[in-house]
This record gives sequence, C-alpha cells and structure tokens, in this order.
Amino acid sequence: MLRPIFIRTATLLLAALASAGGGWLYFRLIGADAPVWLDSGRAVLFCLTVFWLVWGGTTGMLGALSPARKPDARPITRPVGLTSILVPIYNEDPAATFSRIAAMNRSLLALDIADRFHFAILSDSSSLEVAAQEAAWFEQLVHEPMLEGRVFYRRRERNIGKKAGNIEDFISHSGGAYDYALILDADSLMEGETIARMALRMDADAELGLLQTVPEVIRAETLFGRLMAFSSAYLSPYFARGQALMQGREGPYWGHNAIVRMRAFAASCGLPVLSGRPPYGGHILSHDYVEAALLARAGWKVEVDPTLGGSFEEGPENLIEYAKRDRRWCQGNLQHRRLIGAPGLKLWSRFTFVQGIMAYVASPLWLLLLISGLIAAAIPDPRGAGPDNAIWVLALAVAVALLLPKAMILLRGMLDGRNRAFGGTPRVAVGVLGEIALSTLLAPIMLCFQSRAVFEILFGLDGGWPATRRDETHVEFGTAFAASWWIVLIGAATLAVAIAFAPGLVPWLLPVTAPAIAAPVLIGLTSLSPKSHWLFGTAVKRQPPAVMELQRQIHASWTSEGLGVAEAGAEAGHVLA
Amino acid sequence: MKHEGLEFFSALPDAPLAMPTQMLERRRKPLFGRLRAMLAALPRLSA
Repeated sequence: MLRPIFIRTATLLLAALASAGGGWLYFRLIGADAPVWLDSGRAVLFCLTVFWLVWGGTTGMLGALSPARKPDARPITRPVGLTSILVPIYNEDPAATFSRIAAMNRSLLALDIADRFHFAILSDSSSLEVAAQEAAWFEQLVHEPMLEGRVFYRRRERNIGKKAGNIEDFISHSGGAYDYALILDADSLMEGETIARMALRMDADAELGLLQTVPEVIRAETLFGRLMAFSSAYLSPYFARGQALMQGREGPYWGHNAIVRMRAFAASCGLPVLSGRPPYGGHILSHDYVEAALLARAGWKVEVDPTLGGSFEEGPENLIEYAKRDRRWCQGNLQHRRLIGAPGLKLWSRFTFVQGIMAYVASPLWLLLLISGLIAAAIPDPRGAGPDNAIWVLALAVAVALLLPKAMILLRGMLDGRNRAFGGTPRVAVGVLGEIALSTLLAPIMLCFQSRAVFEILFGLDGGWPATRRDETHVEFGTAFAASWWIVLIGAATLAVAIAFAPGLVPWLLPVTAPAIAAPVLIGLTSLSPKSHWLFGTAVKRQPPAVMELQRQIHASWTSEGLGVAEAGAEAGHVLA
Repeated sequence: MKHEGLEFFSALPDAPLAMPTQMLERRRKPLFGRLRAMLAALPRLSA
C-alpha cells in the first residue's frame, strides 16, 4: 500500500506539470499581437484554472485505478460503546424527520443491538408553529418500539453558533454519557447495519477520531435532482476513493452521516468565534472541515470509507436551491482563508482549506480568462494568424480533465461488474454521457452564480444562512427569470461583443453564452420530473433500501392517522404565539 | 436503562463534558512589543 504522502506528492506534481506545460504551450500560441502583460496574465489564469481541473480529474483517475476495498461482511456484533445519534434540526418538516428516526430505530431493532444507540433531536427551530409541531410529533415518535428512554428532544431558543453550536451545546450538557456521536442532518437516513458497523469500527480502532461515509442522494424526482443522485451514486465513490488514498489519516468530514469519538471531539473541536465581522469573522460557517483539521491536529485519525453503503441524504431538486446552498458553502469556504495559517494544523489540512477556496474562486478566474481572451481577440494580429491553436489547447485540456476520469470509471465498472447494479454498461454509458452533457449545459449558469457569490463575499456582504427548502421542486419560468435575468444579460452581452469585435471566437463562445442566455429555460426544464426513470438510474432507484421503504411506510401511516397530531401542533403553535 | 451508572429517562442525560475553545488565530504582538523582544534577545556587549 503506497504511503499517502507519496501519492499526494505524485498527484500534485502531475497536476502542476500538466498545467504548467499546458500554460507554456498556451503562452507560445497566443502570439505576440497583444501586449505581453495581457498574454502573461492569460497564461497565468490558464495555469490556475486548469490546475484545479486536472487535480480533480486525477483524483477520479486514481480512484478508478485503485484496488477496490471489499466491504466489511463480518457478522454484526454488539458494540461496546454507547452511541448518541444526533439529529440537529432547524424549521424542518417534523413528520418527515421523525419518521426517518423511527425507521433507523426499527432497522437497529432488527439487529438486536438498538439499546446501544440513543437518538437526540436537537432543535434550533425559530418558528413557534414548527416547534409546536415538533413537540406534537415527538409524542408520536416515543411510542415507537423500545424508543422510550432512548430518544430525547431538546429545543434551544437561541441559535448560538448555528449547527456547530447546537452540537456543542449537547456535548457540554450530555456528552459525558456517550462514547460516540453519529451526526446526521434532518434529511439523513442510514441502514441499521451501517450504523452498527461504524460503531464497531470505533470500538476496534482506538485511534479513530472520525469515520465519514459517502452519502448517496435519494428520493430525487426532478431531472436536476436525478443528475445529482446519479453523480453521487456512480461517480462520487471513485473520487472519494482517490481522495482517501491521498488523505491518509487526515480525511474529510462533511458535517453529517459521520461518527465521532465523543471525548476526542469534545477535547479538540471547540470552535472559537473568529475576530472581526462576517463574512470573514464571526462564527465559523463551514465548521466540518475545521473540525476534521482540529481532530487531525490533535493526532486522531479522520477517515472516509466509500465502501460503507447504506448512508443516504436528500439533495436540492433544482438549480436555484442548489445555488442558495452553494452560496452558504462558498462563504464558509472563503472564511477558511483565515485558518490556512492556524497554528499546529497538518499540511494536508491547510491544503484542504485552499482546495475548498479554489473550488469557488476558480469560477471568477474562468470568467477573467474568458474576458481577457475576448480583449486579446479584439486586438488585430499582425501575423495574420488567429487564436485558434490556443483555444484548441484550452479545449483539449478541459476535455481531457473532465472526460478521461469518467471514461475510466465507466470502463472500471464494466470490468468489475459494478455497472450491473445500475442497469448494465450501455445504460450507464448513456447516463454518464447525459451527466456530461447536462453538466456542460448548466456549468456557465453555475459559474455565474458562484462568481457572484465570491464577489459579494469579497465586498463584505454577509449572505448569512438561508433556510433550505427541501420540498421545493418545480421552478416556474417567472421565478427562474427573476433568479437569472442577469446571467441572460451577461451571456447576450458577451456574444454581442464577440460578434462585433472577435467574430472568430463566436463558435467557441457558444457553449458558454447559449446556456447563459437560455438560463431561465434551463433552470425551469431541469426542475421538471420526467415520468421515466430510465435515464440516471441508480442502484437505489432499482432496488430501494429497506430503511427507505420503512421510512415511507411509517410516514404514510403517521400522516394518514396523525392528522390530529399535526392539527394539535398547529393549535399549540397559535396558543404559544 | 443504565450505562456506566447513568440512568436515562426522557430528558437529555445530565453528563457534562468540557469542550474547550481551540486556538485558531495567532495572537499578534504589537510591533513595538516585537521590536523590544528582538532587542532583548540580542547578546550584550561586555564592558
């Protein structure tokens, strides 16, 4: 097994050499017609943007080439440690969330180990009506088999520190009673067997501070949602595997569907309030990356295991909800620039912060590359040669970085039989091609959303923490236009400038400008829910996991019988208000 | 039910666990303070 440090160094060198080599070639080709400063700037932008593409692509290729770890198939035994399953909630649908808890409980009961797991619902709900409904539905939940004495509900009136503060509040009041904490989101769902295996891994490895699963998106109905689900089910595990090879003991934490060692987390992960005001100061928004870095700093192992199935979440069903969530993540990641130099952090943890920042900063850099290319193309070339060769280099670099890893993953799936779970290689190939096509169409829109997020944050505007509406699916044209009219304007203006000053660039710009001009239509169309599930089929869609079916049944039975519960909750809400 | 001597009922268990705040920002000494520290560290010339 190659040491992570060797793999990291080799991968970084490969990405650096590929982008530097490509940047040198690009600089040679863009000619002497434009001022040197512009050519140099364009070459630097090329290197920076292509480096992160190549880096991401190499991670996927590494995962596709690495030997598969066999999933743990040993019989489930009784965990020694006691685990608290934490469910922080904030103005969610309590019937849906609590039915997930009930399903996970029943899944654990079937293994006869449920008494080693408690559930703690940690509410920060600010809406009194929702809080009243939570209390009412909790009364329904406690009647689930063997849950009495194992499920707790607590609501904070003040949302200090948001989710991280919510968990810290639990730990400081009750953490001493537990050995481990399995941290979930309101939409998380996990098989009992997976939960048990995670606790057993913590029992077996005294150095393990955190174990992260790779959650799969479920219940996606819209075209956009299914695109995300397919990507998370089929492609993400390979990228996660490649990352795991590089990360070694300094793995990621994504804030949910992960188990932590309670005392390690308590001793290492008390987050400070950063000096200064938001968006850079104040409470740490993307706390998960920081907590992983702090655990690694304290010497604990932080691992991700892509072989642990049975871990699920729900995702945004349209591009607008995705962009809102992304805005929050963007602010959280840019805030990490304050922490790159934090004392005692491992080098890889610092690099992870840089990686997270560049995931967002790359978008405005691509925009700058585009604009500088337009300016350069508008300047006449005395040699008479056009910029076509340089654009070919750029297009080839992007194509290879994006397509090669996915082709390798498809081939790997064909050779090891994984494609069968997704309906066979031809169907998966159509899915991968569809994913590439749709991602390419939506990329310019996402580029604009992310660039705007970065500029807002750089100018000190605090986006805050917009509530995620998980039930929002179809987007009407009016709403889509209101969210993206400025993208239409940017696309149209770019195309107009190209037609007027650099007509040779128009064919190359169409893949970017056309989707931008059509943004409202694309946002609306991808928020539709096609009846056929053939495209972007996943193993979970073909054969839903037992816990998902359990949750559906429980929720259906509660909501058909529990109308009185909901009404009582609403009435109590009026009284409290 | 009991675990390590703790009884669990319907309220969250009363089992506090300290979660000390971690240091993530370097505390910078004022410039004058740093200059004084540098001067104090210089070797003294013998008379």
